[in-house]
Amino acid sequence: MSKKKYFVKRKKTCKFTAEGIEYIDYKDIDLIRQYVPVSGKILPRRVSGTNPIYQRKLTRAIKRARLMALLPFLGD
Amino acid sequence: MPLYELGVILDASLDDEQRTAFLGELKELLAKEGATIVKEDVWGKRILAYLIKHKREGFYVFWQYEAPGSVVKPLEYRLRLSDQVLRYLNLNLDREMQRARKMAKVRAEQKAAKRAAKERAAAAAAAAAPAPISGEEA
Repeated sequence: MSKKKYFVKRKKTCKFTAEGIEYIDYKDIDLIRQYVPVSGKILPRRVSGTNPIYQRKLTRAIKRARLMALLPFLGD
Repeated sequence: MPLYELGVILDASLDDEQRTAFLGELKELLAKEGATIVKEDVWGKRILAYLIKHKREGFYVFWQYEAPGSVVKPLEYRLRLSDQVLRYLNLNLDREMQRARKMAKVRAEQKAAKRAAKERAAAAAAAAAPAPISGEEA
């Protein structure tokens, strides 16, 4: 018999919907960093719980931040 | 006139004099095209997330300016030619905000419509409900 694993389910919420952020600025690195792990990849919606509308905006902001060398293209 | 946001990464090895001279030149170009700088945000030296032109550091400057669309071409042309500029990003902020505002408006309308429908349903239910109750009472 395999061991049964138990997970603690946490409710995922979209920060942008909750706080009513209209425009995600690529210069706001502290905010954007929350959605970019050390690997440098963009966190998927299924992990972060972001709404589709904001996920697209976030993606664009992250890519702009990468262009401006505020975030790495490749993480560690 | 739309609001633009320009972000420039300058070579950090430039001394202050060269830098102010270059930024002054850019400002002159902007002024000539009829632009007014609304906000200036100078971050200063920052370590780049990766090497650009074998350089570790960059000097970050951000400007918000209002200008006619004709400013974009000469400005970006100038930035591209310069050796002192490592990277630049010129955004039309109005266009960015427009989408956000439009979406916010649509969402607000949807919410209002939903609420109105709910109220109508509640009102209909209230109108329908008293009749049997009064009937029972009578």
